[in-house]
Amino acid sequence: MRKPRLLERGSAPVESIFAIVFILFLALGVIEVAFALYGRNVVMSSAHEGARAAVEYGRDPQQAAAIAEDTVRRAAGALVSDLRVAVSTTSSGGTSTVRVRVQGLVDPFGPVPFTMPVDTLVSATREVLPR
Amino acid sequence: MRRRCERGSALIESMLLGLILLVPVIWALGVLADLHRSALAANAAARDAGLAAARSSDIAMADASIKEMVHRSFADHELDATEARVRWTSSTGLQRGGTVEIEVSYPVTVVQAPFLGRVAGPSIWINARHVGRIDPFRSRE
Repeated sequence: MRKPRLLERGSAPVESIFAIVFILFLALGVIEVAFALYGRNVVMSSAHEGARAAVEYGRDPQQAAAIAEDTVRRAAGALVSDLRVAVSTTSSGGTSTVRVRVQGLVDPFGPVPFTMPVDTLVSATREVLPR
Repeated sequence: MRRRCERGSALIESMLLGLILLVPVIWALGVLADLHRSALAANAAARDAGLAAARSSDIAMADASIKEMVHRSFADHELDATEARVRWTSSTGLQRGGTVEIEVSYPVTVVQAPFLGRVAGPSIWINARHVGRIDPFRSRE
């Protein structure tokens, strides 16, 4: 009667340590997912800001790219790495369309070793001044 | 004998409990991310629509440009603009030096399913408001 009871008995501190590590792992994973979603939203918004800036009178594509990059850096900091902003302009039928593409990698800092790529393409039509 | 049967493993129990709790936490994260994205889109839509309306020469043109800007802003944030509600007023009838007020509302459905998207249910409304000033020196065609 005594022998099986002894075999089933575990060490409470060891078990609780394992349980705490597991719960911590889950909590950090959740925080990491939250930051990844935040980074994706910021990249989306930065592309829109860049496109909006690009269609304003007197702005060139380099300035629009700088605004998009600055938006990401200010809002997400080092959360988004390998940031690439490309601005292209196409003209047809009297209108000019600006396309802003923002690409980057949302880096993991928690227990989940997963880098999330983000890629957003946004277009805006430039205002044509009357002659 | 009875006490022995009720005894469980702390590790297994906490793992099971953690995994069960993870489901609503991940769901809440998805809703919060959607709320954040919708707030960014609604703010951008209100601002862009306000600027476009302030540059319009008449009411019809302002209405069309507001619709286009709202649609574009929500599309840029990968959201469906058809669900957005837009209300705009101009106290001076788009006269120079006047103001244009835009209000954009967007519903974020709380009940969402992975890979299925929004499921019918309660929504949280995101509101954005922008007051744009019409340039007093802008030429009108």
